[in-house]
Amino acid sequence: MVAIMGSSGSGKSTLLNILGLLDGFDSGEYVLSGESMSGLGERSAAKYRSKFLGFVFQSFNLIGFKTALENVALPLYYQKVSRKERNSIAMEYLQSVGLEDWAAHLPNQMSGGQKQRVAIARALVAKPKVILADEPTGALDSKTSREVMTLLRDINKEGITMIIVTHEHDIAALCDRTIRLKDGLIA
Amino acid sequence: MFNRDTWLEIANTVMSHPMRTFLTGLSIALGVFILVVMQGLGFGLQNGVKSQFADDAVNSVWVNSGRTQLSYRGNKPNRRVKMRENDVEAMFQQMDTVEVFSRRIRIWGLPMAFGDKQSNFPMRGVDPGHEELENTTLTSGRYISQRDIDEQRKVAVVGKNITEDLYENTDPVGTYLMIQGVQFMVVGTFNDPASRWENKMAYLPYSTAQRLFRNTGAGDVVDQVIVGTGTMPIEETTTMTASLLSWFKDRKGVHPDDARGIVMENNNEEYERYQNIFMGIELFIWGIGLLTLLAGAVGVANILAIAVKERTKEIGVRKALGATSASVVSLVVQESLALMIVSGCAGLILGVGLLELVSPMVDHEYFKNPQVDYRIALLAITILAVVGILSGIGPAIRAVSIRPVEALRDE
Ligand SMILES: Nc1ncnc2c1ncn2[C@@H]1O[C@H](COP(=O)(O)OP(=O)(O)O)[C@@H](O)[C@H]1O
Ligand SMILES: [Mg+2]
Repeated sequence: MVAIMGSSGSGKSTLLNILGLLDGFDSGEYVLSGESMSGLGERSAAKYRSKFLGFVFQSFNLIGFKTALENVALPLYYQKVSRKERNSIAMEYLQSVGLEDWAAHLPNQMSGGQKQRVAIARALVAKPKVILADEPTGALDSKTSREVMTLLRDINKEGITMIIVTHEHDIAALCDRTIRLKDGLIA
Repeated sequence: MFNRDTWLEIANTVMSHPMRTFLTGLSIALGVFILVVMQGLGFGLQNGVKSQFADDAVNSVWVNSGRTQLSYRGNKPNRRVKMRENDVEAMFQQMDTVEVFSRRIRIWGLPMAFGDKQSNFPMRGVDPGHEELENTTLTSGRYISQRDIDEQRKVAVVGKNITEDLYENTDPVGTYLMIQGVQFMVVGTFNDPASRWENKMAYLPYSTAQRLFRNTGAGDVVDQVIVGTGTMPIEETTTMTASLLSWFKDRKGVHPDDARGIVMENNNEEYERYQNIFMGIELFIWGIGLLTLLAGAVGVANILAIAVKERTKEIGVRKALGATSASVVSLVVQESLALMIVSGCAGLILGVGLLELVSPMVDHEYFKNPQVDYRIALLAITILAVVGILSGIGPAIRAVSIRPVEALRDE
């Protein structure tokens, strides 16, 4: 569990997007699971993403017209898992974040903390090796922040690498290691 | 590609913006509705006009004689040209084959009586080929036969009006009809829906009519000859008619430039003219319908483009969650396709429904049966599908080019 810290505009999100294969890079090298990620095409990027990576965003980025269950099931839909199976898997993950009773609710019927937990369940459902979280507590009050961090911590204990961008010291303090960025460089 | 998941996904996104979906659907439905109704109206017009000309629609050449305009070979102008039976025979020899023909003579009014009812009706002396060339529909009995001609039998085929007026709608076949004091056996009745005039007629064998009713001195003058040209191509009938006409003028001492002495009307040319008019009408209707559809398609493309823009973030999220370009394209295109087809079918059903409703109420001379045939319906749906795919492609390409980073930027 790693925290990435730095002032605004220092390149935290950019680094995370590169790690998440959402953005390209001009120099340097990125090796994921023993393979170089330079010059990756759209299609293979999508493949690596769904195989290794899960995302959690500051503004949750749930799809507004889909229920919590459907949101969680979406990555499985893109992995061509059958409807029945993906719904039961998604339900399991909703349970693990304590939201089984909210499965049929739309995002706008839920609180910020609940939305972020749905987003975390969605990031987990495809069984990623790494979860990339860009300011996952940025839009939450400190009590909910703590709850979400506890959840991420528990997930980390299951053996999933967790990379968290934050600018709050007490959040970073909950991580095993902190990387500081300054002007796009690791300080 | 078209599995249940995809459809649920489409239904999901389409239903998430009910107003937008409704407006798009409305414009498509309206386009198809207009196309279908215009088609139906055009069809009705065509049916009406066709029924007006169906009278002599059989491919044929009509030969008439009249008075000359020009002097020629010592003949003064205004001379009455008499077409005689030997002229007709010679003319047939000029032609390669004559499969179907009829000479015609007519008398405008003859007293006809059955029982105590009597009235004046016109009569035509005809050959058996006249049935086909005049497009006569027999309603009972038989037509004039070659034996009737050969034996100069006193038989008659009577029109609908005679049946109504003299027989009060009972079947006249087998009865004896008095025509100017001569007994004729009625062997058939007919109805010519395209010609009110023909329905007043009694058709008699040409030979009998010539012998009994022509004023002395008329001799064997033939009023008119009709020759069927069968399946001969238009160009060929045109050149044939022209060469036949100049041959006939020469034989009867008529100036080659005389437009009245002998007249040959080539029915085929007229028929083709009407065909061209119909084609014009059809083209016009298709033009309007397709333009309306096109406007609808532009509308759909526009709305999809807006939709894609609105959904930039959502599409970015989908990509981050593993959506491939292909799945994004198919989402957008299939959404457009589904919208087009569903609302197009709604327009189709409404249009066909309206026509079905209105059709029984209108029966005008020039407007009949405003219906859409199923081929046009199928074609409309095919066009919708193609347009649906095409109008989805632009927005789909935009959707694909959305980079997840741009989409996910928190602002
Ligand atoms: N290593 C780098 N090289 C060049 N430009 C960078 C680098 N890191 C960040 N940037 C640029 O700096 C800007 C701010 O980066 P961002 O990742 O949004 O910062 P943060 O998330 O830390 O506020 C972006 O426009 C990005 O392109
Ligand atoms: Mg940032």
